[in-house]
Amino acid sequence: MSSTSTLSANIPLEDSIPEAGAPLESILCTEELQRRPSRPPDYEKENRALVKLVSALADSPGIIFHTLAETIQDITECDSAGLSLLTKDGKTPHVDGQRFYWPAICGMWNPHVGGGTPRNFGPCGDVLDQNRTLLFTHFERRYPYLMPVSPAAEECLLVPFYVDGKAVGTIWGIMHSDRRRFDAEDDRVMASLGKFASSAYQTWMHIENLKIQVAEREKAEAEVRQLASGLEAKIRRLVEANVVGIVLWNLGGAITGANEAFLHMVQYDQEDVASGRVQWKDLTPAEWRNRDEQAIAELKASGIFRPFEKEYLRKDGSRVPVVLGGALFEGGGNDGVAFVLDLTEQKRVQEDLQQAQESLYTTQVELARVSRLTTMGELAASIAHEVNQPLTAVTNNANACLRLLAKQNLNPDDLRRALEEIVADGNRASAVIARIRGFIKKSPAEKSELNVNEVIQEVLALVGPELQKNRVAVKCELGTTLPVVMADRVQLQQVLLNLVVNGVEAMTAVTERPRDLVVQSQIEESGDVMVTVSDSGTGLSSEANRVFTPFYTTKANGMGMGLPISRSLIEGHGGRLWATPNSPHGAVFSFTLPAAGSPA
Amino acid sequence: MTETPIVFVVDDDASVRSSLRFLLSTVGLQAETFDSANSFLQRKRSDAPSCLVLDVRLPGLSGLDFQRELAERNISIPIVFLTGHGDIPMSVRAMKAGAVEFLTKPFRDQDLLDAVRIALDRDRARREQEMEMADIRRRFDSLTSREQEVVSMVVAGMLNKQIAAELGTAESTVKVQRSRAMEKMKATSLAELIQMIEKVKSPLERAS
Repeated sequence: MSSTSTLSANIPLEDSIPEAGAPLESILCTEELQRRPSRPPDYEKENRALVKLVSALADSPGIIFHTLAETIQDITECDSAGLSLLTKDGKTPHVDGQRFYWPAICGMWNPHVGGGTPRNFGPCGDVLDQNRTLLFTHFERRYPYLMPVSPAAEECLLVPFYVDGKAVGTIWGIMHSDRRRFDAEDDRVMASLGKFASSAYQTWMHIENLKIQVAEREKAEAEVRQLASGLEAKIRRLVEANVVGIVLWNLGGAITGANEAFLHMVQYDQEDVASGRVQWKDLTPAEWRNRDEQAIAELKASGIFRPFEKEYLRKDGSRVPVVLGGALFEGGGNDGVAFVLDLTEQKRVQEDLQQAQESLYTTQVELARVSRLTTMGELAASIAHEVNQPLTAVTNNANACLRLLAKQNLNPDDLRRALEEIVADGNRASAVIARIRGFIKKSPAEKSELNVNEVIQEVLALVGPELQKNRVAVKCELGTTLPVVMADRVQLQQVLLNLVVNGVEAMTAVTERPRDLVVQSQIEESGDVMVTVSDSGTGLSSEANRVFTPFYTTKANGMGMGLPISRSLIEGHGGRLWATPNSPHGAVFSFTLPAAGSPA
Repeated sequence: MTETPIVFVVDDDASVRSSLRFLLSTVGLQAETFDSANSFLQRKRSDAPSCLVLDVRLPGLSGLDFQRELAERNISIPIVFLTGHGDIPMSVRAMKAGAVEFLTKPFRDQDLLDAVRIALDRDRARREQEMEMADIRRRFDSLTSREQEVVSMVVAGMLNKQIAAELGTAESTVKVQRSRAMEKMKATSLAELIQMIEKVKSPLERAS
C-alpha cells in the first residue's frame, strides 16, 4: 500500500482542463449491464472470497485494500481491479477531498498504484455524484489525462462506497479488451464488495488512527524517557556532589540509601545503611518525634513535607541541627526521598549574633546607667561646690565671732559685719538651691499624648537583663482602659526607671523570700492615671518621707537625688509621687498623672 | 625673724576670702587675699614667714597646677588646700607635692588654724635655715681667695704643713691665713668651721 503523501506529491492538479472532451453520456453504458447475457452467480466462490477478505481484515489489515483488489479481479475475472479513495490529508487542506488516489491496484494497471484522478472531473467523481454503479467505456475520451495510462480501459465498472453516509471512494474493475464484458452478475457482486469496502475502510482508518496514536504515545514516551535520563543524571550529580544530604527512606522507619553528606552529618557510614542498622526514627531525639509525626501526616495528605528544622542524634549521641524537606515517590508506596542540610554553622553564627546583640544590649543598659550616674555625680559635685562656698563663709564668720566672744574681744562692728555676711551667704545658699530646683523644673519637657502602659513596658524591657540578673520576678497588672496622659516620654521613663531600679536594689539583700516587683497601672476615681511600683525589699522603716529629701540615701553608693528629682518631674506634670510601706515587706511608690485634656 | 607672718589666701569666692581673713584675724594672723593664682603671682609679696591657703577649684590655673607652677619657679611656700568636693586621688597628689593639709569645705575652724600654724612654722624654719646659710656664705665670700683655698683644704682634713707644700708657701704663712679666716667666719673652733662649710657646701657646689 502506498502512502498518502507520495500520492499527493506525484499527481499534478488538472483543475483547468477545458471542456473539450466527449460528453459524459457518450462514455457511459451502464444500462447495457441488464441487457447483456449474465453468467450464473457462483455463491461458493463468492463465499470463499468473502471469508478470505474477512480473515485478511482480521490478520493483515494493512494490506486489506490490496486483498480487496485481488478479490474483485478474481470474482469478476477482469484485467485490472483497484480502489480509489478521496484524499484525506490534514496537513495540506487544499488537497483534502480534492482528488482520488489509488491505494491498491491488481492486474495490468498495478504499476499505476499511487496515481489518481481529480474529484470534480473524472469517473470516480461521476460515480459519487450519481451515487450509483456506473459502467464506462473508453473514459479517456472525456478525461484526456487518462490517455497516457496504459493499457487503455475498454470498460470500467465503478461502484461507490460510503462510511456513515459519507462518500469516501470507489472500487472498480477494468477490461482492457473486449475479451469479456461486464454483466449484471458483476454488478451484483461489486455492490456486495462495495459494502465490504466500506467496513474495510472503517477498519483501516481505525487502524491508521491507532497507529498515529501509538506513534504519538511512543514519541511522548521517548521524550519522557529522554527527559528522565537527563533528569536522572542531574539528580545523580546533586546526590554525588554531597553539597546537601540526600536520604532515601520509607515510612516504616528504614533508611534505604544516603549520600556521604548525610552520613557525615550523622556520623554513620554506608555499611550502617546497607545493614539496615540505622533507622531515621532512631536518629530523632524524643522531643522531635511529634514534629516528625506532623511531617508524616503531611506526607500522607499531600505526598510532600515542607522543610522544617529539627535535630538528629549522631552515632556518638551528640546532636546536629538540620533542616529537611522531602517527598514520597509517586505510586502510593511508602518510599520517599529527603534533602537534609546541616545547620550547625548557621546556628553557631546565629548564636554568636544573638550573643553579640545581648552583650550590646547589656552595654547599652550599662551605659545608660553610668551616664545617669555620671550626670547625677556631676550635678551633685556642682551643687556641693555652689553650696559649700557660702556655707564655708558662714561657718568661718560664725566661728570667728565665737572665738572673739570667748576672748571677750568681739567688738560690735566686727560682729555686725560678720552677721551681715552670714545673712548674705545664707541667702546665697538658698538661691543656689532655688536655682537648681528651677533648673530641674524648667528642663525642656516635650509633652505628648502617651499611653502609660507603653512606657512601663519600655522601661521593663530596658531593665529586663538587670531583673534577670538579680532574680527579680516582675508582675504587671496594667489597666486596659487607661486614658492617655500628656507627658514627656523621657522624663516618665526616668521616673519609672528610677522607681524600678530602686525596687530592685532594695531587694538585693533579700534572700529568705521571693523578690517580687509588681508594676500596676489603674485609673483613679478622680480620673487620674495612677502607677504603683511595689517591691518586697527591705522597706522604708519610719523614714518613708525622708527619701524625698535631697541627698538622703539608704544606699551605699547612692546619690540621694533620684527620688527628689523624680518627685519634681512628676509634680512638673501636675501629678504626685509618694511612698507607702508594702505589706508584709517592702515599699510601694505611687505616682499619679492627670489624664490628657483634664485641667492639670 | 620677728616680722609678722602673712597668710596668703587664694580663692575665687569673695565671701570665703573675707571670712577667712576674719577667722585668721581672731588668732592674730594677717591675711592677704587674691581672687586668682595669677594675681598672687603678679603681686610683690612682703618678705615675711608666710603660707598659702589655696582653693583647688580656681578659675584659670587650678590649685594643683598652681602648686606645680610655684615649684617650677622655685617659690617654696607651704600650701594648705581647700576643696568643695575633693577626692582621694586629688588629695594624695597634693600632699605628695608637698601640701601641708587638704581640707574639705566647710571645714572645722580649728583644723584650718592648726594647718596654717604648721605651715607658718615650716616656713619660718625654712626661712631661718636659708638666712643662716646666706650669712655663712656672705662671710665666706668676704675671705680673700687664698684664705678660701686654705679653708677648703683645712675642711678637707689637710695639715698646715701639707697645705703649705701644696700652695708653695711657708707653713707660718698658712697659719696666719687660717686664723684670719676663722676670725672672719666667726668660727670658734675647727669643728664649727667644718659644720658651717658642710651646711653651705651642697648649695655652693650646685652654684659653681
